[in-house]
Amino acid sequence: MTSLAPRAAKRLRLSNTPRSVCTDCRRTFASSVRAQQQQQPASSQHARQDEKTTHFGFDTVAENLKASRVAAVFSSVASNYDTMNDLMSLGIHRLWKDHFVRSLNPGIRPTTSAQPQGQRILDIAGGTGDIAFRMLDHATNINRDTQTSVIVSDINPEMLGEGRKRFSTSPYQAAGRVSFMEANAEQLDQVESNSIDLYTVAFGIRNFTHKQKALEEAFRVLKPGGVFACLEFAPNLNNPVMNAVYKRWSFGAIPLIGQIVAADRDSYQYLVESIEKFPSQQEFAGMIRDAGFLLPGQRPEDEVVKAGWEDLTMGIAAIHKGVKPA
Amino acid sequence: MSLTPMALRSVLRTPTGLRPLLLQAPRALYHSYEHAQPPPYREAESAILSSAFTYVPTHGFTQEALTLGAKDAGYLDISTNLFPKGAFELVKYHLTTQRLGLKDRIQFPDGQMGVGRKVRSLVLERLRANADTGVINRWQEALALMSLAENIPASLRELSALSDEIWFLSGDISVDTSWYTKRASLSAIYAATEVYQTTDKSTDFKDTEQFLDRRLEELRVMGGAVGNTLEWVGFQGGALVNLLRSKGVRI
Repeated sequence: MTSLAPRAAKRLRLSNTPRSVCTDCRRTFASSVRAQQQQQPASSQHARQDEKTTHFGFDTVAENLKASRVAAVFSSVASNYDTMNDLMSLGIHRLWKDHFVRSLNPGIRPTTSAQPQGQRILDIAGGTGDIAFRMLDHATNINRDTQTSVIVSDINPEMLGEGRKRFSTSPYQAAGRVSFMEANAEQLDQVESNSIDLYTVAFGIRNFTHKQKALEEAFRVLKPGGVFACLEFAPNLNNPVMNAVYKRWSFGAIPLIGQIVAADRDSYQYLVESIEKFPSQQEFAGMIRDAGFLLPGQRPEDEVVKAGWEDLTMGIAAIHKGVKPA
Repeated sequence: MSLTPMALRSVLRTPTGLRPLLLQAPRALYHSYEHAQPPPYREAESAILSSAFTYVPTHGFTQEALTLGAKDAGYLDISTNLFPKGAFELVKYHLTTQRLGLKDRIQFPDGQMGVGRKVRSLVLERLRANADTGVINRWQEALALMSLAENIPASLRELSALSDEIWFLSGDISVDTSWYTKRASLSAIYAATEVYQTTDKSTDFKDTEQFLDRRLEELRVMGGAVGNTLEWVGFQGGALVNLLRSKGVRI
């Protein structure tokens, strides 16, 4: 235990000098995730020279380890995921998600189609069912479409479990309009090519090891004319002053809230670090275009990417869209 | 995009950070005979918008028309996400295509008409396009969409582009400050006449034609009055300066 103390102290930004606080008390803040990680041999924590590496927050890890470490983070946050989202974003994430779904306008109006087939929506990294619920509500209540169905996919069984629990009492579950799938978004073998109308990923793509590969997989499963839509944090705000304030909040408050509410500082430290590592709006829109999508609002003569996303709340988050050409 | 050796040299001489600016396709803000204007829409966009436009007379400038058009063009209901501004994109499509099509709708015989007469027939021709495409009964919806706060900048840009197009096609080659006043006044007249046209019930838009003639006449009288006043003010100013100089004031 004593060997763990300096590292824990560093994480908690406490000094090494003896204090009146006992070192064992600090253990209560430490998460089970970290305890697991500490037990792993040191060689697996840091990438060896000959391996391909990627980033996990600000750490550099071997590519084959990222998925399992992300899995550990989300397994540990699954149970209080929604409470934490509310606290960290001051409730604004609900507005973003509402706007995201409303702007996509899922569902088929009976007036525009003689025999509406309904849409097939694939919600990637949608474990807790936040987006799926809103999609189905919008399709049913706004567009009067009772056919549209959502496949909720997540790599993490714990997160999917939360979603199953929430949907178990809803009419959508009874009507068979929602199904669950445990899958890696980079390898969607269970999904046929050209079979999906709308592919959404909200606050998930940041955690993927190979983002470009996931985009290409999205392109494969979408029907011609299908839409890729992604709601994700952006690394920097448009206004430098607000950016400084925001960075204070995200690096100072969010890990602290995680520590107090969820007793898990490391997972939320990873969260803010992974936002910092995510490509900017323009770079990410370029990646979407490189996967073959048409970016909405891009002019035909522009060679550099100028459009294809919408900033939310000064650019804290952004909605990216791409349409698969027919 | 192909580059001539000269152009390549100038690109290589600029700092690396600025090169993307030079490599962009030239987007002239003026009428250029050397550079072909790029098409205003990508292939998929024009396919959806042109088939959606056929639904405007029945469904109006709405998301529904856009959706039906997308389905006709072989796209899905959800594909309308290609247009972030929704129904306004249909309005803009009409404005853009009719502006670019104006030069093919009308041909002037050489040296027969003055610039003023040409402007008048160009404005009438552009207004006739609203009726020919069958959207005149729905045009009030379009005006309403254009007046929404988020659409005003794009609408004004389109209006000024139309007014510029009309002056260009009429053969106006002024390079003084009247370049600006001409475009501003024509924009105002065009916007007013178009609003009038939406309520015009006369045959062949005779009333609109008369309305336009009255506005152009007012502009002529106003322009004359302003010109005369300026000339008078300039003359009086000069006289005043000379008067003061004769009294020994050092000006």
